[in-house]
Amino acid sequence: MVNLPATPADLIPFLFAVITSHTFIQIILFPGFIHVTLVTAFLTWYERKIIARIQLRIGPLYAGGPGGILQPIADGVKLIFKEVMIPYKADKPLFLAIPLALVVMAALPFAVIPFGQNWVIANLDVGLVFVFAMISLFPLMILIFAWASNSKYPFLGGLRSLFQQVAYEIPMWISALSIVMLAGSLSLVDIVNAQARIWFIIPAFLSFIVFFISVMAELERLPFDLPTAEPELVAGWFTESSGAIFMLQFLALYMKMYLMSSLVTVLFLGGWWGPAFLPQPVWFIIKTLIVATFIIIPRAVFARIRVDMLIRIGWTRLLIVALVNVFLTVLLITSGLTAILGM
Amino acid sequence: MEIAIPPDLVFVILAAVTLIAAVLALQAKELIYGAIALGISFIGIAGFFVFLDAPYLAMLQIAVYVGAVVVLILFTIMLVRREQSDELLDRPEGGQGAVGLWLAGLLAVAIAGVAALAGPNLPAAPPAGNLPVSSLGLVLAAEYPIPLVILALLISAALLGALVLAKVEK
Repeated sequence: MVNLPATPADLIPFLFAVITSHTFIQIILFPGFIHVTLVTAFLTWYERKIIARIQLRIGPLYAGGPGGILQPIADGVKLIFKEVMIPYKADKPLFLAIPLALVVMAALPFAVIPFGQNWVIANLDVGLVFVFAMISLFPLMILIFAWASNSKYPFLGGLRSLFQQVAYEIPMWISALSIVMLAGSLSLVDIVNAQARIWFIIPAFLSFIVFFISVMAELERLPFDLPTAEPELVAGWFTESSGAIFMLQFLALYMKMYLMSSLVTVLFLGGWWGPAFLPQPVWFIIKTLIVATFIIIPRAVFARIRVDMLIRIGWTRLLIVALVNVFLTVLLITSGLTAILGM
Repeated sequence: MEIAIPPDLVFVILAAVTLIAAVLALQAKELIYGAIALGISFIGIAGFFVFLDAPYLAMLQIAVYVGAVVVLILFTIMLVRREQSDELLDRPEGGQGAVGLWLAGLLAVAIAGVAALAGPNLPAAPPAGNLPVSSLGLVLAAEYPIPLVILALLISAALLGALVLAKVEK
């Protein structure tokens, strides 16, 4: 335990103790902010490359590195030096503050994601609920930003984001419920530890399908990218953003993609478990990138669905399947099969 | 590494954030700002739950109150057009503010009196410690099963009522 500095003279030793502490280094380097930002930047390049391959193009090439892998840095530098256009009569404080809040909201849940047995910043007792609570704030932020833009396309996009949350959020929580029942804990570390013998994708396959579809809707990826539908709404809720504001929103969106992919890995794909010849965080990141690939591919494959279709799917299909899976899980646990399978 | 933060400091900061945000929620000229201040106030209350060793309640407070209730309030505000929303604001006139302050003061005096009279005689609260979430479920299911069932019935009735209200006659 370190005490707060009482006098100004204590301040420098106190700051030194904070900066050199294990937790602080974890927060800054790995599995904290720098690692998350780097993987996020990699994901933007990776998505453009995959979509290009599917559409028989080459994709980013000239920014340097193998296959133009330095493209995200070039994009970032370009966007930072561009002028930030604020629409006439827009709500300036909110317009500037919400993109920052989006990045904070997307980065905070990484504090509870376990990248390995000891590679977790905070092993919260209620880690799963914490992640869900944080991502449930996103449509709120998006709606406020859309309102602050004072323009009709962002506003329609913001309202759609809200409708989308109504459709996907409840199936998502209920599909995660069966995982919590199997693991007997809300802590993400305990959930991964419970999968040492058998990954939860096998006993809870229906739940995995529901959760994955909900994640696609949560991330506003095709076929659920209604809030940012290009042909109808220009660019949806970020139509009016430019320069650094746009960069922050883009960063938050891809950070959330990394977050949700890692959540799928934690809940269903056994987290850090894998053969011992690679370290645990490497297995975790490999699995997460595979999940991210499957989140990216539908963008080049499927067409967009309508709002009413999304809500009908959410409430009459996904919710029913998730509830059925909860009852199956109860059967599995009461029949003693989980004990036989060694879970 | 753990930093020893005095509990009083945490309490004062949380109370200040919650109260100032609550006052702003009532006084905001723009209704949107009022809703955002209300959300911040709810997050402050979630902070109190964490402070009192109830992290599960804190997370549900954020998910339900900030993630759903504030969203509903914002949604309602945005359905009302901007010109109209200015007329909807009615400031307290003349004596109303003073009456409110007097009532609040009276309530504070009453609470302080009760605390001063009964406080020393109350049994000490059991130490909460770091209880697992499952203990909450055990208490609810083992000690209060009937209120739990009644609550479930109430929520089902509310859902059915919403369905009936939302059904469009063809």
